[in-house]
Amino acid sequence: MANMNRRQFGGAAAAGAASLAAGPAFAQGSSISFISYTYAEEPNKPVFQKVMDDFKAASGVTVEPIASAWGETQKNIMLRQRSRTLMDSAQLQDRWVPSMATLPEIVDIGGLIPESDLEAALAPSVLSLGRVGEKRIGVPFVSGSVGFVANTDVLKKAGVDKIPVTMDEFRSALVAVRDKVPNSVPFAMATKNPSSIPLDVLLLVWIFNGRIIDDSGKVVINSPEGRAAMSFMASAMKDKLIAPELDRPDSRRLFAQGSAAFYIDAPQARGFIRSFSGLGEKADAFTLPMKSPVLKQGDPPRSVEWGHVVALFKSQKPIDKGGPQDKWVRYLISDATQTTFPLQIGGLPVTKSARAAPAVQNDPFLKAWAEATGVTMKHEIGVWSNAPELSTILSEETQAALLGQKTPDAAVAAIQTRMEASMAKRG
Amino acid sequence: MNAVSAGGITVTGAPAARLSPLARRAGLKTGERRVGWLFMTPALIAFAAVILAPFLSALGLAFTRYDLQTPNPVFIGLANFAQIAASPEIRESFVVTFVFVSLATVFTIVLALAWALILNQPFRGRAALRTATIIPWVLPSTVSAFIWAWIFNSRYGLLNAAMLEMGLIDQPVAWLSTSAGAMTAIVIAKVWISIPVTMTFFLAGLQSLDREQIDAARVDGAGDFAVLKDHVLPHLRPVLLVVVVLAVIGNLQQFDKIYALTGGGPVRATTVLSIEVYRRAFDSWDIGMASAVGLLWVATIIPPAYLYLRHLLKTV
Repeated sequence: MANMNRRQFGGAAAAGAASLAAGPAFAQGSSISFISYTYAEEPNKPVFQKVMDDFKAASGVTVEPIASAWGETQKNIMLRQRSRTLMDSAQLQDRWVPSMATLPEIVDIGGLIPESDLEAALAPSVLSLGRVGEKRIGVPFVSGSVGFVANTDVLKKAGVDKIPVTMDEFRSALVAVRDKVPNSVPFAMATKNPSSIPLDVLLLVWIFNGRIIDDSGKVVINSPEGRAAMSFMASAMKDKLIAPELDRPDSRRLFAQGSAAFYIDAPQARGFIRSFSGLGEKADAFTLPMKSPVLKQGDPPRSVEWGHVVALFKSQKPIDKGGPQDKWVRYLISDATQTTFPLQIGGLPVTKSARAAPAVQNDPFLKAWAEATGVTMKHEIGVWSNAPELSTILSEETQAALLGQKTPDAAVAAIQTRMEASMAKRG
Repeated sequence: MNAVSAGGITVTGAPAARLSPLARRAGLKTGERRVGWLFMTPALIAFAAVILAPFLSALGLAFTRYDLQTPNPVFIGLANFAQIAASPEIRESFVVTFVFVSLATVFTIVLALAWALILNQPFRGRAALRTATIIPWVLPSTVSAFIWAWIFNSRYGLLNAAMLEMGLIDQPVAWLSTSAGAMTAIVIAKVWISIPVTMTFFLAGLQSLDREQIDAARVDGAGDFAVLKDHVLPHLRPVLLVVVVLAVIGNLQQFDKIYALTGGGPVRATTVLSIEVYRRAFDSWDIGMASAVGLLWVATIIPPAYLYLRHLLKTV
C-alpha cells in the first residue's frame, strides 16, 4: 500500500467497489464455512484438515472450519440461527437431524443432489441417515453403529477368558474385574452428561427387549423390560460395577489406560483409544468390538445406528448446483475422501465403492465391528424433534435411579409421565 | 415591582432593563441538568441496547411459545407461568436457589468478617497475607470452578487423596454425585471466591473504627466477644447491610461456577434458577419457558436490589 500510486489506488478501490456490488459470493471469494466437531477433536484434526486441503486443491474452494466440541455443536448452530449468523454447512450427528430439520434455513439437499444419485452411490444401510420424511436434510459421510467395546487386557487380568454373551455372563465379568483389577470401573457407562447418558440407557433397554418410545411416538418405557433395565443399572451402580461422574471422554480415557473393561462407543473408539493410551496402533491389540450382551441365548445383539452427516444452511451465499456447497457435499462422499477419511477416524465409509475397497475389507477392526453389530436400530429419542427435552428427562431420571434418589420403578414411571407430557406438547 | 430570575436567583425590585440578554429563562440548574443528561446519554444508549431491550424482549417472550417446533413466537398468555406452577422440577429450582443463596451468603459474611478481623491485627507478614487473600477473587471464575472440580473429583481428586492418606476414608468418595456433596461443593467454591472482596469491605470499615473506644472498653473489662458485639458490629452495620445485599444479589445471579462445577446436577440437586433458565433455553430450546423462568428469577433479585439502591440513595 505504501508504494501504491494514485492511479493504482484508484484502480484497487474501483475493483473493491465492483466486487462488493457484484454481491457477497464474489466479494467473499470461493469459500464456505463449516462447523465440525471432528475438527475439534485433537486426534482427528489433522485428518480433517487434510480433507479440506485436498478439497481446495481439487476444487479451488476454501473450507473455513469452525471447530466446535461435540456437545456444543447444536447450541452453536441454534445460537447462530437466532442471531442470523449461520454458517454455510455443518457436520451433524445423525440423531440431531430431526431437531435441526425444524430450522427454516436448513436446505433440502435433494434439490442439489437427486436421491437417485445418492441411492446409486451410497450403501443401502446408510440411506436413511440424514433423511426426515421426504427431505434429504443431511448426506452421510461417515457411518457405523454404537455398540460395546471390550478391553481384553483388563479381562485377562480379571481372569475372564471369554467375551460375555448373556447379561448374566456380562455381570459376572464385571464382578471379576471389580474384584481383581484395583481402582477400575468395570463398565464405564456414561452417567454424567445428559448428552451421553441416553445412548447407553437406550442400548441397555433394548438388550432387556424393551423400548423407550415406539415408532408411532408412544412412550412405552414403563414396562417390565424397561424396569428390568433400570434395575440392572441401579444395582450395577450399587455394586460398584459402574461409576458416577463419567462422561464419554472419561470412559474412553479409563478404557485406554486399562481401568475399564467395557464401554459403549462408535467405531471411532479406535482413534481415541490409540491416542489416549499413548500406544498408537499397538492399542488395537486390546481393543475388541464385541456383540452387545443379550438377555438370553438366541436374542439378537443390539446396536444403535450412528453416523456423521453434512448439512447445508441458507446463509448469505447462494446455493447453486455446481456451487461451492454442492461441491463440498459431493467431495465428502467421493472415493478420494471415502477410501481414507472414515478409516482414519475409525468409521465406516458410506459409499458402496469405498466399502468394497481392499483397505476397508482388510481392516480387522472394522471387520470385527461389522460382525459385532447385530440388529441396528434408529436412536429412539433422537428421531423426534423434541429430542433435547426427551434426553434431559431420560438423563435426569436415570441419574436419580443410579444415585439412589428414586427406586428404579419410580424413575421409569417418572420418565413415562414426563416424556408423555413432552410428546403431547410436541403435538 | 419587577421580579426577575437568573441563575436560580430571584431579584425583586430590579429594573427590567438591567437583565443580561444572555441570562437563560430556565436558570442555571436546568442548564446543568441538560448537560447532565448529555453526559448520561451514551450510558443510557448502552443500557437500552444491552439491558433494557433484551429484558423487554424476554418479557414479551415469556408469554409466547417459542421452541424447536415453533420457530416463530406464538402468544399463549400465561400458559408458561401455569406450567411453571404445575412443574415440581421448576419449583424445586426455587428451593435449591434459596438453599444455595442462604448458605453461600451466610458463610461468606461470617468467614470474611472473621478474616478481616484477623487481617486487621498488626502482625509480621500482614501485607503479604492481605495481598494473597485477593488471589481467589482475581482468578477467572471458571478456572476456580475447575480447580474445585479437580479437588472434588472422585477418581483423581485432591480431597479423596488427602483423606485416603490420612485414613479418614477407606475408598474414594464421589462427592459431586450426591445432592448434599454437590451443594456443599458449589457453596464452598462460591464462598472461597467471594471472601476476598467481602473481606475488603469489612477491612475498610474496620480501618475507621476508633481504637480508643475499643481500648476504653477493654479497660472497662470487656472481653473479645463483648467488643465484637457492642463495638465492632455496630460500627460495621452500614457496611454489613451493603455487603449482605450485594452477596444475596451476587449469589442469586450465580451461574458460571455452578455450571462448570456440577452442571446443575446430580439430577437437579444444584439446578438454581440461572441453570434452569440456561437448560430451558439451550438444552431444551424452549425459549418461551426460559424467558418465563427468567422473569421470575429477576423478580427474586428485585427486592435485594431495591434495598441496596435505597440505601445508596439515602447515603449519597
